[in-house]
Amino acid sequence: MDFLKERFPDAQFATHVNGDTEVLVPAAQYEEAVRACYDAGYKYCSAVTAIDWQDRLTLVTSLARIDPAEVGARTIHIKVDLPRTGAHIPSIAGLYPGANWHERETYDMYGIRFDGHPNHRRILLPDNWQGGYPLLKDFTDRRPKRPRLVRHRFAE
Amino acid sequence: MERTKELLVNMGPQHPSTHGVLRLMVKLDGEQVTWCEPDIGYLHRCFEKLSEQKTYPQVIPYTDRTDYLAALINEQCYVEAVEKLFGDAIQVPERAQYIRVMMAELQRITSHFLALGSMALDLGAMSAFLYCWRDREKIYSLFERITGGRLLYNYLRIGGVRNDLPEGIIGTPQDGEDKADKTIWGFINYFDAYVYPQWKELVTENRIFQWRTQGVGCLPADVAVAYSASGAVLRGSGVKWDLRKNRPYLIYDRFEFDIPVGTSGRGDCFDRWWVRQEEMLQSSRIVKQCLQWLAENPGPVMAKVPRVLKPPKGEVYHRIEGARGEIACYVVSDGGANPYKVKWRSPAFTHLQLMPLLIPGHKLADIIPILGSIDIVLGEVDR
Repeated sequence: MDFLKERFPDAQFATHVNGDTEVLVPAAQYEEAVRACYDAGYKYCSAVTAIDWQDRLTLVTSLARIDPAEVGARTIHIKVDLPRTGAHIPSIAGLYPGANWHERETYDMYGIRFDGHPNHRRILLPDNWQGGYPLLKDFTDRRPKRPRLVRHRFAE
Repeated sequence: MERTKELLVNMGPQHPSTHGVLRLMVKLDGEQVTWCEPDIGYLHRCFEKLSEQKTYPQVIPYTDRTDYLAALINEQCYVEAVEKLFGDAIQVPERAQYIRVMMAELQRITSHFLALGSMALDLGAMSAFLYCWRDREKIYSLFERITGGRLLYNYLRIGGVRNDLPEGIIGTPQDGEDKADKTIWGFINYFDAYVYPQWKELVTENRIFQWRTQGVGCLPADVAVAYSASGAVLRGSGVKWDLRKNRPYLIYDRFEFDIPVGTSGRGDCFDRWWVRQEEMLQSSRIVKQCLQWLAENPGPVMAKVPRVLKPPKGEVYHRIEGARGEIACYVVSDGGANPYKVKWRSPAFTHLQLMPLLIPGHKLADIIPILGSIDIVLGEVDR
C-alpha cells in the first residue's frame, strides 16, 4: 500500500497474518485517508466496525478493490483511535453508500456518532433503546430481571 | 384527474414473502411504490456479544445460526479465521480441506435450491418450490449421515473436521438417480442429468416467469460495487468477482470452475436468478473433482491441536464467498481462551440496503421478485 505510505508517512502501518494492511491514522486524517483509498481504486467498503480496548475505541473501516483480473486481493483496514464516550467521526456513507448501515450498526453497538450521516438512527436495537451500547466491554444489562418460575405443585 | 393520498403500507414483520421477520415500510401512490424503508432487528440476539464470553470452539455452533440455510459456509469462515490467527501452528490436513470444500459446495447447492424455490413460490410457482424441496431433502439426508445434523451441523473444527466421511457415502461415478439420497456421486449425477435441465425448462424458460423478473429491480454494475453488493447480486450486474477465484481461500485454486455472470447487462432479477442457477452447476463440477480426490486419498482429517485453544495476540479479517455473497469475520485475539471481539459481516445485511434503491418506481407486486432475488436470511441480517 505504497500510496498510503507516501501520503501519510507518520501513520502506523501493520500487516495482518493473512496479508491485509492496517493503517492507524489520527481522527483528523480519517476522511483524507478514506478518500485516498477511494481514489486508488478501493471503491468497495467491506465493513465498518469498532473494537473496545477498554481505554479507547478503535474504529476499523475495511476497504477493498473489486478488480476481476486480480488474484489474491487484499483489504485495507483504516483504523482510528477514539475516546470511549462521546466519540464522533465524519461519515463515509456519501462516498460509500454501502457503509451506511455498517455505520449505523457501529453507532448502535459502540456509540460512535458519524457526522453527516444521511440517516443516523439505531438499526438493530429498538429506536427507544435506553440501555447503553451493548458491545462495550463494561455493558451491563440493566433491564429488570424476570421473576423465576416456580414449579407448581399439584394437590395430591 | 383526481389524485389520491399516499398510503403507507407495512409489509411484514409477518408477511410470508419476507422470509422471516423483516418489516418493509412502503409508501404507495396507487400501485406504484414511491418510498421504501426496511426495518430490521426483530431477530437480533447479540451473537457478537455472546461469542466474547465463549471459548473459540464454543463459538462455532453460534455461527451456524447466523445464516442457517448455509451453516457450513459460516462455520468455514469463522474456523478458518481462527486458524489464520494461529499462523503455522495449526496445519489443516489436506483431506479435511477437500471435505470442507465438498461440503461447502453441496451446501451452496441447497442454499440456492431454497433461494430459487422460494422466489418461484412467491411468484406463484408452487410446483417449482416442491421440486426444490424434494431435491434439497436428498442432500440433507446425505448431510445427516456425514455430520449427524440436518440443518445446523457443528461439523467443522478448528484444525479439521469432526469425523471422516462414513463408509460408502462417496459412491461411484456410475451411481444414478436411484442412489441420489444414498451417495454423493448419485446425487451429483442426478442433479446434472435431471434436476438442472428440468429446472431450466420448468421455470427459467417459462414466459410468465420471465415477464415477472426481466427488467425488474435493475442494478447497474458501478452502483452494485458502491453499495457493497457481493455474490450473485454483484455477479448478476455483470461484475465477474468471486472470492473463490479472486482471493482463493482453502484450496479453491486447485479446482476448475467458471464464474457465471448476468448476461442481459441490466442486472435485473432474472440475471440474479440466472447466476444462482448456473452457480449450482459449477458447484457440482467442484464436488466431482473433490470426490475423485477423496476416493483415492485416505488420511487424517484433524490436525493436532492443543486442548485449550489460545491463539497469539492479533487480528484477522477473513472474507469468503458464501452462498449469498461475501461473508467476513473479524476476529481479535488478546491471547486468552475467548475471542476478544468477533465481527460478523453478513451479505444479507449489506444487501438489504439496496431495497430503498431498487424498489421505488416499481409496482407493489414487484417487491416480491426483488426481495426474492436479493435472497436474504433474516438470521444473518440481525445476527
